[in-house]
Amino acid sequence: MIYFDSAATTFQKPASVASAVAEALHTMSSPGRGGYRAAMRAAETVFECREELSHLFHMKDSGKVVFTMNATHGLNLAIKSLVPPGGRAIISGYEHNAVTRPLRALGANTVEARGTLFHPEETLSAFDALIHPGVDAVICTHVSNVFGTVQPIEGIAAMCREREVPLIIDASQSAGVLPLDMEALGAAYIAMPGHKSLYGPQGTGVLLCSEGRESRTLMEGGTGSMSIQQEMPDFLPDRLEAGTHNVPGIAGLLAGIRYVRKKGVENICQKERQLALLAAEGLQKISGVKVYALPGLHGQTGVVSFSVEGKDSETVAEELGKRDIAVRAGLHCAPAAHRSAGTLEQGTVRLSFSDFNTTEEVLRFLDHMCTLQAG
Amino acid sequence: MEQYVILARSVTYAQRMQKLLGQAGIRCQISRAPRDLTDLGCAYILRLDEKNVAQALTILRLEGFDPLRLFLSSQGRYREVQLT
Repeated sequence: MIYFDSAATTFQKPASVASAVAEALHTMSSPGRGGYRAAMRAAETVFECREELSHLFHMKDSGKVVFTMNATHGLNLAIKSLVPPGGRAIISGYEHNAVTRPLRALGANTVEARGTLFHPEETLSAFDALIHPGVDAVICTHVSNVFGTVQPIEGIAAMCREREVPLIIDASQSAGVLPLDMEALGAAYIAMPGHKSLYGPQGTGVLLCSEGRESRTLMEGGTGSMSIQQEMPDFLPDRLEAGTHNVPGIAGLLAGIRYVRKKGVENICQKERQLALLAAEGLQKISGVKVYALPGLHGQTGVVSFSVEGKDSETVAEELGKRDIAVRAGLHCAPAAHRSAGTLEQGTVRLSFSDFNTTEEVLRFLDHMCTLQAG
Repeated sequence: MEQYVILARSVTYAQRMQKLLGQAGIRCQISRAPRDLTDLGCAYILRLDEKNVAQALTILRLEGFDPLRLFLSSQGRYREVQLT
């Protein structure tokens, strides 16, 4: 199979990830639940993973690294900590349902800072006009999951710091692909999946929390600490980590992060962008295909969307699927992004690459696309 | 044999303390806190040698691990050491 759906989940993982999961299943129990060997091995692994994450994302205190089930879980924790029911939120025009649905559930007064696709300066101006003291939170995806466009997150973060408005970053498409500096950005929270470009197993996610934030719990339960007290601990990570940890998942995530650090975030990004560029340039030569990208994929990661004239995006994906090529079609759980780009009616076909894809795979995909369009 | 122990409110807290002290060359061992050391339930302790106690407390305070609780362990019994 040729797998080009890494923006959903990286399917091919480093071999060390599967080994780490298997080892955890055989040798580890639960952290914070005992002083015996299996519990302490689990605790050591979970702590090492927090430490790796704090290094990768430039955090001083690994105790502010919270494990979640996925990025959606982290975003829900962050949004519901900062935005009260009926509160005010500013979001970009390219947000995923993981952001917009929690805001809808809160009945928040949500305003979109819209900019034309691939014009970050427009997005920045839109945020500039909307970020005022009194806004409960600004929530912005770092990279669009549909178009791969990189949002001007540094500029948005600077505005938030200056105007003292908390910022939540959805790093679902950037963690492990672009540099992210929690301390320099001054974000209140950064949420990310473990199972995408950090190469961990599904069921892993991370929420990076800033100093001194009073985080609201979504779940309450055992933490292995302060057991007499019936309120959740007021300190992180325990406050947000009720119940048994996904130790095999975290062990796999640790191996995935080590892979990313060894290969280098910049190197992985460069490789994925080159593959995306090859695909985009090849697709642009095929009659009836529209590619959503700037020349040279300026301001874009290894994610490319395209559409085929007169064909539903799902039909294109199905035809590719029959040829054992895995792509994602439709609205990608991000109708807001498609509304902003004017692709809501048709949707798009999305190609998203990982460090495990090859030039040969892209060329084979392009051959199949030529055949499909010719046929 | 006498040994000093520092109380930690969670395993992560204990691990962060252990890492910090390790960077200063102070070795310590994490284990579960005996029930009578804490009235709040489950917790962890760091065991360390007497010669390292003063430096360990200074380092931990510098890094914001206050308030600290120190106990002297002797023949299975613990006595809290009042810290100034």
